[in-house]
Amino acid sequence: MNRKNLLAMSVLFLISLVLPWVIAVYPLGIVIEILIYGIFASSLNLLLGYSGLVSFGHAAFFGIGAYTASIFAQNVSANIFFTLPAAVIVSLLAALIIGFFCTRVSGFYFLMLTLAFAQMIYAIAHQWESLTGGSNGLSGIPVPQLWSGFSFEDQKLLYYLILIVFLLVIFGIRRFIASPVGQTLIGIRENEGRLKAIGYNIRNYKLLAFVIAGGLGGVAGALYSYFNGFVSPHEVYWTVSGHAIIMVIIGGAGTLIGPTLGAGFLIILQSVVSSYTDRWYSIVGLTFIAFVLFAPKGIMGLISLLKLPGKKEVTQNFNVEGEKA
Amino acid sequence: MMIKLKSFKIGKILLVIAILGLIILPLVGCGNGGSTNSSSGDNKSGSNATVGSTEPFKVGLIIPKSNVYATLGENLSNGMTMYFDEIGWKAGGREIQLLQEDEENDAQAALRKAKKLVESDKSDVLVGVVNSSIALAIRDYVDQNKVPFLVAHAGAVGLTRAKKSDYVYRISFTNEQVNFPNGKWTYENLGKKVFVIAPDYAAGKEQINGFKKGFTSAGGTIVGEAWPPLGTNDYGSYLQQITKAKPDAVYAFFAGTDAVRFVQQYSEFGLKKKIPLNGSGWLNAEDVRPAQGGAVEGVKGSLYWQLALDTPENKNFVENYKKKFGKEPSGEAVEGYDAARVIAEGLETLKGDSSDKLKVAQAWGDIKFVSPRGPIEFDKENHMIIQNIYLAETQKIDGKLQNKIIATFKNVKDPI
Amino acid sequence: MNESLSILAMQVLNGLAYGMLLFLLAAGLSLIFGNMDILNLAHGSFYMLGAYIALSVAQYLDNFWLALILAPLLVGLISLVLELGLLRISYNRGHLTQVLLTFGLAYVFNDLVRWIWGAAIHTLTPPASISGSLEIMGQTFPRYRVFVVLLGFVIAFLLWFFQEKTRWGAIIRAGVSDKEMVGGLGINIHLVFTLIFALGGVLAGLSGVAAGPILGLYPGMDFETLIFALIVVVVGGLGSFTATFGGAIIIGLADTLGKVWFPEASLFLIFAIMAVVLLVKPQGLFGGRAA
Repeated sequence: MNRKNLLAMSVLFLISLVLPWVIAVYPLGIVIEILIYGIFASSLNLLLGYSGLVSFGHAAFFGIGAYTASIFAQNVSANIFFTLPAAVIVSLLAALIIGFFCTRVSGFYFLMLTLAFAQMIYAIAHQWESLTGGSNGLSGIPVPQLWSGFSFEDQKLLYYLILIVFLLVIFGIRRFIASPVGQTLIGIRENEGRLKAIGYNIRNYKLLAFVIAGGLGGVAGALYSYFNGFVSPHEVYWTVSGHAIIMVIIGGAGTLIGPTLGAGFLIILQSVVSSYTDRWYSIVGLTFIAFVLFAPKGIMGLISLLKLPGKKEVTQNFNVEGEKA
Repeated sequence: MMIKLKSFKIGKILLVIAILGLIILPLVGCGNGGSTNSSSGDNKSGSNATVGSTEPFKVGLIIPKSNVYATLGENLSNGMTMYFDEIGWKAGGREIQLLQEDEENDAQAALRKAKKLVESDKSDVLVGVVNSSIALAIRDYVDQNKVPFLVAHAGAVGLTRAKKSDYVYRISFTNEQVNFPNGKWTYENLGKKVFVIAPDYAAGKEQINGFKKGFTSAGGTIVGEAWPPLGTNDYGSYLQQITKAKPDAVYAFFAGTDAVRFVQQYSEFGLKKKIPLNGSGWLNAEDVRPAQGGAVEGVKGSLYWQLALDTPENKNFVENYKKKFGKEPSGEAVEGYDAARVIAEGLETLKGDSSDKLKVAQAWGDIKFVSPRGPIEFDKENHMIIQNIYLAETQKIDGKLQNKIIATFKNVKDPI
Repeated sequence: MNESLSILAMQVLNGLAYGMLLFLLAAGLSLIFGNMDILNLAHGSFYMLGAYIALSVAQYLDNFWLALILAPLLVGLISLVLELGLLRISYNRGHLTQVLLTFGLAYVFNDLVRWIWGAAIHTLTPPASISGSLEIMGQTFPRYRVFVVLLGFVIAFLLWFFQEKTRWGAIIRAGVSDKEMVGGLGINIHLVFTLIFALGGVLAGLSGVAAGPILGLYPGMDFETLIFALIVVVVGGLGSFTATFGGAIIIGLADTLGKVWFPEASLFLIFAIMAVVLLVKPQGLFGGRAA
């Protein structure tokens, strides 16, 4: 391993370790949110960036994870060794079922079908009042515990928990993409027809990506419920899926940390700008347009422009159409 | 587990660090954001702020400033500003600052704003919140962090019942309170068989529940219910259901665009001529009547305040509000005005000492005064406001559609 | 006539009226997506702009009919400018770029409308000749809805005629199936795109005006309608007005009748229909051509 790299990584790691002790409670809360949405956007990036599947319904898994963790915490136990696996398992199952249908179609139809399923999940969250609390959602969710007597009351502790999960997810995605399966997914994105001709079962690969992305989306949802202590149908609504797509594009689709940077950019833009002006919708909208005009490959694209001849990680454009573009 | 880092170029990593730094730096310094209006407004005498020589008392207001409910938020904020202007932005010897943040109609964003107001801007109290699910989310936060929170619109009954908190008081209404007395009145004046209709979400259910409590305990029967989704475009099919059920009266809860569409279609489908329409007062409130046009004539609704309320306090309020903002006040403006008064008088009783947050909240509980909406005080048991409820019918007076008060229900408590 | 039968007939008429609004709304979206391969998420904004511009026109000129004509044309002009100034650069950049661009535009328009017209609720008032109600089969029915049904059919016929019987229509049809061929025929494909986009804007604007008296004008109406338009396009099928017309009527009827028969599931129903259509016949119920 390169010594410079090791140094840089250590610096980054140290910063993230001491962060809770150098910044105040409120900014730390924003960093936590960025990590949570970073996980969520990165999970979507598995589909959108690496596999070329534009899902417009990823909020479904965020919501399923958040509701599952909340319902279990309220009714059974707030232990994270219990709520987190529960959230993951339920969202994996949901992703398996939804993915089974969605991977039968591609391109624009895939986009609309994922939207349809997510909106059906939204309808369930909204209507099944005895389970989900209806439109008011669930509030007063118990603080997560590591074991009884040790709970994450202190936001600093919660930060470390979420940081660990975040790092595990990012390195997990990295390994997955480097693996033969991950490389095959990228191959499918680049040229689906060719891989089909060689004899790959394209659908199974896509389904695998969908299920993993769904499970990780559920992880993000569970962490969200830990951090906020509530969940409402709003978290499953299509605008949340839309925001996640924008985070991925702004950060840089198909890059490892781009989605997290995109999440950070969007969350900070929104919370800072909306404090100063009621016209923040315009400013956010104009920022999107500015990205299209001046930074079509997102923040990571900007970085690689600034940067020396590095390995080209930024992906090419592709159409929702997939193979037929 | 060995992680390969070869493709991680050092420069890239440094750039990422730089970007993260750029992201985090404004966070550390973004404590002083927020649109602030304070004493610097009308009273120039604010410069001799040596009185008490203490820190300003910061009031964090969370209201919708964008999207659907922006008008509600604006009126609430106007009401508060107006009262603070009247008292020169000072109470208990301390200067009052009002910090406003956008509720964004998104619980996550609103909670973030609440945290910002408390942790970063050091607000002493929180006030406002229109959306009930957001109010419930913030309720847990203020309860844990011991921040006095004066709910100034959200009507979810849970906030002052199952989820009541030492730190949460409500100056607005509960979804049941505004409808409960109207139930008995409907039974006595409109008929024994009623069809109820409201949007299919928590507030809709609670509003109708409040009516049912009053109506059925008086002896009335519900002959049919319909629960269209929130934001329904077309009530035609429900109206045809109502026609079929042949009730003596219809009782409805709709607000905003839903109220406009429902009342218009109720008239267009010919029901207005046959079956009287009663409901909670948002059905014929000031903000929807212009868009409803002639369809709203004859519609009744009960609410905690009416523009036409003939008391010196209200006339004064309405006149001053018009002078200041160039338009008529709404119920939300009254909520804001009263909320500001409760906060200021609470601070006055404590002589400006806000060090004990529990005392700040408790001081609110002892306040009573005659508001533009009539006499108000808090129920010691659940921190919920006790107030009059007014039933108003929209009538054509001097060629103009106006709400006329046809019944007053005095000192209504939340019907638990 | 039997009462419940006449009530059912009224509900069907209601569903038709709603379907016509959806048709006007979705026709432009389908046209743009089918021909230009652009997923225009700002389409709901054009609908909203149409309604609000009509509000101002109706206020200043005191004439609903003029508003019905002028507002869509103005929206068409706005979309024309947008196509020339902004969208054109995104053609070769893939759908994700277009999503970001048009979503950004939708944000800006949402804010602009609130800035110019405020956040209060408005409605458009139709002239006396088409307001009030009439008696059909012993049931009272709003006259304006009958007008909307007629308007929908007239516009649908005009669009069908345009697409199937005129030279420009033939070019557009060719554009859906084979873009290179159109270019090869020596037709300026950019000009075609610009005109299609403007026409899409006109149609969205028209649907905004037509919906104004029924659905009202309020902030957020843009995002709400966008999803409905997408559903209609998917259910009907891309690129042909006939397909969109069929899809709109199905969704209009399903939504209206679904609310009567399964009120608890009404949030669920149209998405379930869309999912079933996508799985069984992805190219849409009436779309012969693939996207």
